[in-house]
Amino acid sequence: MESNKNNKIGAAVVLGGGIAGMQASLDLASSGIKVYLVETKPSIGGVMAQLDKTFPTNDCAMCTMAPRLVEISRHKNIDLISLAEVESVKGEAGNFTVTVKKRPRYVNEDKCTGCGSCLAVCPVGKAKAAADGKENKIKPIPDEYNEGLSTRPAVSIPFPQAIPNKAFIDSRYCLYLNSGKCGNCKKACKADAIDFEQKEKIFELNAGAIIATPGYELFDIGSKPEYGQGKFENVVTAIKFERILSASGPYQGKVLRPSDKKVPKNIGFIQCVGSRDHERDYCSAVCCMYATKEALIAKEHLGDQLEIDILYMDIRAYGKGFEEYYQRAQKLGVNYIRSRVPSIEEDPKTKNLIINYLSDNDKKVSKEYDMIVLSTGLLAPKSAKQISGTLGISLNEYNFCNTGSFSPVNSSRDGIFVAGPFTEPKDVPETVTQASGAAAKALSLLSDVRGTLVKEKEYPPEKDITGQDARIGVFICHCGKNIGGVANVPEIVKYASTLPSVVHAEDNLYMCSSDAIDKIKQKIEEHHLNRVVVASCTPRTHEPLFKNTIREAGLNEYLFEMANIREHCTWAHMHEPEAATKKAMGLVQMAVAKSRLLEPLYRQFVPINQDCLVIGGGIAGMVAAMEVANQGFLVHLVEKEEKLGGGARKLHYLLGNDKPQEYLNDLIKSVSSHEKIMVHTGANIESFSGSIGKFKTIINSAGTKQEFEHGATIVATGAIEHKPSEYMYGKNKKVMTQLEFEEKLSTDAQLKPPECVVMIQCVESRNDERPYCSRICCGTAVKNALKIKEKFPDTGVYVLYRDMRTFGFMESYYTKARQKGIVFAIYNNEKKPELIESNNGNLTVKYFDSTLQENIEIDSDYVVLSTPVTPRPENKELASMLKVPLDQNKFFLEAHIKLKPVDFATDGIFLCGIAHYPKSIKDSIAQAGAVAARAGAILSKKFIETEGAISVVNEAKCIGCGTCVTVCPYNAPALEEVTVTVEEVTYKTKKSKINPAACKGCGSCAAACPAGAITASHFSSKEIREVIDAFDRGVRSVSIEKGVVEVTV
Amino acid sequence: MKVDPKLLSDVRKYGEFDVTGCFNCGSCTVKCNLSKDSSTFPRQSMRHVVMGLKDQLNSSLEPWLCYYCGDCSKTCPRQTEPGEAMMTLRRYLTSKYDWTGLASKFYQSAAWEIGAIFIVAAFVLALGVMFTGPMVTDRVELNTFAPVEKVHLFDMGMFVVLSFFIISNAFNMFHLTMYKDKSVKIPISLYITQLKELMVQFATQKKFRECTTSSRWIKHWLIVAGYVTMFILVVVFLGWFQTDNIYPIYHPQRWLGYFATIVLVVFTAEIIYGRIIKRDQIHRFSHLSDWLFPILLLLTAVTGIAVHAFRYMELPLPTYYTYAIHMAIAVPMLVVEVPFGKWSHLLYRPLAVYFQSIKDKAILLQKGG
Repeated sequence: MESNKNNKIGAAVVLGGGIAGMQASLDLASSGIKVYLVETKPSIGGVMAQLDKTFPTNDCAMCTMAPRLVEISRHKNIDLISLAEVESVKGEAGNFTVTVKKRPRYVNEDKCTGCGSCLAVCPVGKAKAAADGKENKIKPIPDEYNEGLSTRPAVSIPFPQAIPNKAFIDSRYCLYLNSGKCGNCKKACKADAIDFEQKEKIFELNAGAIIATPGYELFDIGSKPEYGQGKFENVVTAIKFERILSASGPYQGKVLRPSDKKVPKNIGFIQCVGSRDHERDYCSAVCCMYATKEALIAKEHLGDQLEIDILYMDIRAYGKGFEEYYQRAQKLGVNYIRSRVPSIEEDPKTKNLIINYLSDNDKKVSKEYDMIVLSTGLLAPKSAKQISGTLGISLNEYNFCNTGSFSPVNSSRDGIFVAGPFTEPKDVPETVTQASGAAAKALSLLSDVRGTLVKEKEYPPEKDITGQDARIGVFICHCGKNIGGVANVPEIVKYASTLPSVVHAEDNLYMCSSDAIDKIKQKIEEHHLNRVVVASCTPRTHEPLFKNTIREAGLNEYLFEMANIREHCTWAHMHEPEAATKKAMGLVQMAVAKSRLLEPLYRQFVPINQDCLVIGGGIAGMVAAMEVANQGFLVHLVEKEEKLGGGARKLHYLLGNDKPQEYLNDLIKSVSSHEKIMVHTGANIESFSGSIGKFKTIINSAGTKQEFEHGATIVATGAIEHKPSEYMYGKNKKVMTQLEFEEKLSTDAQLKPPECVVMIQCVESRNDERPYCSRICCGTAVKNALKIKEKFPDTGVYVLYRDMRTFGFMESYYTKARQKGIVFAIYNNEKKPELIESNNGNLTVKYFDSTLQENIEIDSDYVVLSTPVTPRPENKELASMLKVPLDQNKFFLEAHIKLKPVDFATDGIFLCGIAHYPKSIKDSIAQAGAVAARAGAILSKKFIETEGAISVVNEAKCIGCGTCVTVCPYNAPALEEVTVTVEEVTYKTKKSKINPAACKGCGSCAAACPAGAITASHFSSKEIREVIDAFDRGVRSVSIEKGVVEVTV
Repeated sequence: MKVDPKLLSDVRKYGEFDVTGCFNCGSCTVKCNLSKDSSTFPRQSMRHVVMGLKDQLNSSLEPWLCYYCGDCSKTCPRQTEPGEAMMTLRRYLTSKYDWTGLASKFYQSAAWEIGAIFIVAAFVLALGVMFTGPMVTDRVELNTFAPVEKVHLFDMGMFVVLSFFIISNAFNMFHLTMYKDKSVKIPISLYITQLKELMVQFATQKKFRECTTSSRWIKHWLIVAGYVTMFILVVVFLGWFQTDNIYPIYHPQRWLGYFATIVLVVFTAEIIYGRIIKRDQIHRFSHLSDWLFPILLLLTAVTGIAVHAFRYMELPLPTYYTYAIHMAIAVPMLVVEVPFGKWSHLLYRPLAVYFQSIKDKAILLQKGG
């Protein structure tokens, strides 16, 4: 392999810019791999960008996602190639040649500032008459982002937060491109970005690895005549309803039905549209939860007068927090009705919808709704076949990408990794996890060429401004017409130049355009500016650009201040130009006031220990260790038992043909023989301290203590199977848990064919004590039931359940089980099954069948209890040692349930496997890969670059009370013992010390400190006060008459 | 209610009972126009089988209330075939009602069913050899070859024997579905007042019209009408029907005969053709018994027409031979199909509608009281 090493290329191509592609790109780029992110659409973001909120926390989807969109656009190691597709892939793992075809945008991406002036003048698709007065005959263009509920012009920006935030001309509709007439946009574009001459480009990229994340398609209801084929106006798909709910949607977040724009009184959700049928024998895995979410949000909007029914077959609330979310929805009045609705009829007059369904107790019910939402399932992307052909990777029967139980991110071709719903329908956190897992695989593959293609930026030496008076430059942006069309920008410039310490003020059409950037640098030189204020749009997207600009001009980046006069001013006061102008002046005045006090701040470089600690030697821990070690880092793997393997040692078979013991033994062998993995078995963590880059751990292995440092920590401590107290467990030998039954079925050679076996699901789970769903038990029951039928075809098997939660491709095994004659029967949680033991010890399970309205008795040779996976009792101790939180069920709690599923809020500590939540081996492996990528991103750097603007403690004022330690969400402050000498008295006391590597500069501690000992740099009390004073002073007497402004300051 | 895990495999001996992925969603029942809240199907019937609730299944009338329009199978999201499952259940129940055990043998074994037909055919031919008169060859004298009194006597005898079997089976049906059902108290008077329902249903099969594909009702009704006409002509009026006189064309003997045979030929042929080309959802599966009944009926009608035609053409020998063949087809068909086979639904189905109407009324009365 030595010869190959030299040919490896330290770059990766990521196909698809949804949340999976974004995550993989960021993970790779931050570990020193050059990334080409190829997206077929004009913007990245994928489906998540269309979502209003996300379950189960009802977080705003765009708010959690936008920072990542921005991060991608700014990342120096990510080249975003939009409107592009991969034509062919040649070569092999480590060295691929990828041919990419980029379609023309007809807009010069370098020049376009995304101001939107062109959108306003495009005549296409507008109802109003064109310039010549004739009626516009071209049909409106349905806006894809709003799922056709609104229209858009031929030139558009897909959505406000689009990345790249550049206009795009749709050649199918553009008048100029089709007939040579119009060109309004070209005239309107002040940045001269419109380029009708653009041609398709074909070029080659060299990359060592490819990650395919093309996402999914939603089921098209056009093929469902029974649901109206999309012809009933008030029958909408869930994604359409998502847009209806969204504040950025077609009805500005008002819940209205499309036919008459009236508020619906009742809404019915129909589940499993296009999933779990004979053509698609899989469950789309997310629809139960998104329907619940949409129901909750709609109710939030409309309150109790809105009635919502969700018509479902099984509510599959299997993920972390899902079951609790489902319970909450029920409490808030969302009705869940178990039924499958065969068809919808429309009342042609009222446009109401009528459905018939069969109730739980077998009665036909007819109901009328104002609106119906179809929870459409997930399909493989339309491009799946083409992608499979170009990439040479295999698909399954539903055109999703094939992956293995033990290789969740590997495609069938070496060096090509996959993630997201392309592999199986899944929700955001699992997608993000898998994407990180795929990134880890690429990082392992390319570990020795890491950092070879990335750019490190060089800056000129920084100017020393000590002792200088403030010389402030103010730069005010018109943002096309966004600001300039409302506020009087030249007058703001005049006003700014009158402010104290301002030595230069000027305006520009687009302050972010490259010529304007050059001008800022030039003015810094020319006027010896030592503070810069830009008044334009939001700092969220643009502050890093301007900070970088002044750095390039030799100024410390913290000598910069920004005033948002677009979102905070001209957009909000679009129809009050005078007030907007005044407010903008005020905002500039405040920014200038603060900038006068700005001090240079410096980022610190904290050296990183490049070793990693993995706690837990089960599958998750071992895979994480392997993946980290394969990236070239030393791993300490600590297992408290004498043997590696963890809970998986008890698994004898899986759904399908994979053999877990073979896999486990191979894994143990590779881990034990890996030169970069130090295995410590029979070892406990005795103490743990430090922070990201520099943790210190002492382990105790049978009395022998060992201490080591490490830069990252991975928690993979697993969980246990709950032993119940119900159903005579422990009293009658014929009652056992699923794991015990699996053991018996696999190892008991004397086992006689049983007449009948009954399995009871959700035993001591989904109750008040354990409100969560244990996720794996339904699949386990199906697995063991199938195994019984395989061994003893004549044995009767009954599975009593509440909801069968065989999500994703597990559904096909559930189908297979039913085909084999395994009986699945629903029991009601209010009337739990009973177990009756006769005198001779024989067991009869009795339950009430609501469909048949009958008490059913089943004589059973074995009663198998599906008990939940429960967290380890020792989690509490470990959590407090590591200073990481547990959730209400005592599993470890991740930083963000959607977008940071494997990170803890504390930097440098990660989480994987069932210590996080119950999950399958496949999911654990994906997660283990993900933590390896996240850890790798830290370990691959020599230093951590801290924030410059962090909190600092004035030790003299600190009273050592520890308030800061309590309030900090990042574990940055700690009390340290110091020796203090005051007036010749020397004593020992505790003082707060803030770890710069952990501090994010949020200022919580500064606000909370009772002694006023902590300063949040860049936001010091003095600076804030100065800003408030400036606000207080106000913009005195502004009068705009005939363009002349008189200002009195 | 105890379960019997073996029930499903038992039922499957009677034909298709595909539970391919049935997840008990109930779409089939919602789509069924005949399913009422008091008697829901197919979901409930399928559930009885899958769960192993043998007593529930044996006492259920629902399989007979289904006319197999196929709507349930079309709407099923899993392409399970509830319609065909109901068909299988009718076979299963026919066997449960039949105390001789022959129905069960015939349905489960092609050898038994076809063997039985051939044995009875051979028996008929043997009887013919023993009891037929001389074959007059210079003109057609069918009544000399097969004296109408003897044939009529044979017909009547057969009618009595077959009636005994099917009525005793029907009594079993009553016992299982009505007598043993203690869930509702049924006043005896209802059996009399609801008799009307039985008559109407038998005469019109009007329930069938509630199916979405009501065009099948008229075909079915015409076959039944043709069959009953022929039955009455042969069993009651054979002396008048089997005659060497050729009546004028307007005579009821002629047009009733033509009507009956034509509808039988046309519609049984249509049924067979539909099964061959698997025209509709309902034709996806064809059990041997689904083939035999229309084929035998068609052959009976065709040979009957042939007898008539040969006699009309004054061809004595072909008339006699065809007549022998005609009897060798008609008799086995009746012997095998009436009490032990598909024919029996002619009685069970109206009975089921009748019983169900009694139960519905009784429940109403109970509620009212």
